[in-house]
Amino acid sequence: MVTGIHLTVMIGPAVPAPAPQVVIDALQSVEVTSGRDKSGFQLTFSVGKLSPLLTTLLPAGYFDPLVTRVIVAVTLGGLPHVLMDGIVTRQDLAPSSEPGQSTLTITGEDLSAAMDLIELAIPYPNMSDTVQAYLVLARYAMFGVTPIVIPGFIPEQPIMTEKIESQNGTDLSHLRRIAEANGFVFYVDPGPLPGQSIAYLGPDIRIPVPQPALSVNMDADTNVESLSFGLDGLAKETLLVTVNDPVTGRIPIPIPIPAISVFQPPLGARPTPPLKMVLSRDTGGDSVPYTIKKMLGRLLKGSANAITATGSLDVLRYGHVLRSRMLVGVRGAGLAYDGMYYVDSVTHSLKRGEYKQSFQLSRDGLISLTPKVPI
Amino acid sequence: MANYDFPPGSRYYDIAVAQLPQPDGGALPYLRRRFLPAADALATLARRRVVEGDRPDLIAARELGDAEAFWRLCDANATMHPDELTAEPGAIVRIALPDGVPPPARE
Repeated sequence: MVTGIHLTVMIGPAVPAPAPQVVIDALQSVEVTSGRDKSGFQLTFSVGKLSPLLTTLLPAGYFDPLVTRVIVAVTLGGLPHVLMDGIVTRQDLAPSSEPGQSTLTITGEDLSAAMDLIELAIPYPNMSDTVQAYLVLARYAMFGVTPIVIPGFIPEQPIMTEKIESQNGTDLSHLRRIAEANGFVFYVDPGPLPGQSIAYLGPDIRIPVPQPALSVNMDADTNVESLSFGLDGLAKETLLVTVNDPVTGRIPIPIPIPAISVFQPPLGARPTPPLKMVLSRDTGGDSVPYTIKKMLGRLLKGSANAITATGSLDVLRYGHVLRSRMLVGVRGAGLAYDGMYYVDSVTHSLKRGEYKQSFQLSRDGLISLTPKVPI
Repeated sequence: MANYDFPPGSRYYDIAVAQLPQPDGGALPYLRRRFLPAADALATLARRRVVEGDRPDLIAARELGDAEAFWRLCDANATMHPDELTAEPGAIVRIALPDGVPPPARE
């Protein structure tokens, strides 16, 4: 095996180039958080008084917010993993009287931050949600963003003589609104190569190919540093929608909407029952397709998962880079908590000679559905 | 434009699909030709010696952790036929980063 982990950092205005050696030498730590719908990064540099970073690069605008794009990739065993493709939003300089303690910290967000800058008011006459999303995302083609937009399940074609859909706000808020109305998720995922990203607007599909299992309490096979589980009985809720009876239009008929999703198959054999019952307060007076779309969106979104797990691992021990928004197996935690989990968020922390990840997993019920997890 | 018929680990991931018009009016989809990247432009990770009885997929599994990544060895060594890589024991096989991934740092 090609041993070790190679960190590639690319920084630059508009088109990122591999960072110069002085920047890499000054780099102390890299932290990348990749969450459910947003990702962020933080680069910490150690800077002396006469460091080229302070004397040349910083004044020349090398780390300027917004125009500077940062790509962080790690190569593990010869395979590159793009961890982050984002833009700088903030710099912090902490000069210190102690030698070697002065730090420059660059903070940034993924490319969806670039979509959240300019508030627009544009009408989209005769355009369905899908066309609107493609039109919005087309503005970001220069960032190397490839859009993947899945059409809604209840197609609604607005007709401009009846109503005109419009965007009031930033591109990101409009995309989020479209995702919300259809029960979809929207995120920008970096990769597979540096400079490329995928903007995904569609159902929250859990890719069925699981990542190698996280093993705890298994002697030599243990590959996590810590892992803990929690079950929140109040996390799930059933939504109660009332429709008026069709004859008189006066008697409300309650319809419970269960907290399930067709795209999130159960991962636990004994799902935690929803204990809470909440009333829908925002329906009524809308058209039938619109109401159905909203209800289906609620169904697709499912609900909060009752079981969450948090932990940390050393990548060299695990042998892979744990990715978020995918499935992973867990073993060694006992009958109730073993099995498949969904990776909600992952934080990568890289220092010299060290690559650690902390992660958050979730699922809907106790006891594994599969007899074995892939390792 | 990436096509999504192939996973990111495939050599055909970035290859476009074209249409060949047929006499009966239909269209036959086909994959465009894939050109080898310039081997000199790839960043070298390591060099390994071929041992007796070696195969490209064995080297890929041993060094890259994925037997199906043997095509990346061919790219890195400017070889059209995988068997040429391991034809003679003692030869040096270069392991490189994929096309488009820069080396870890710039001088």
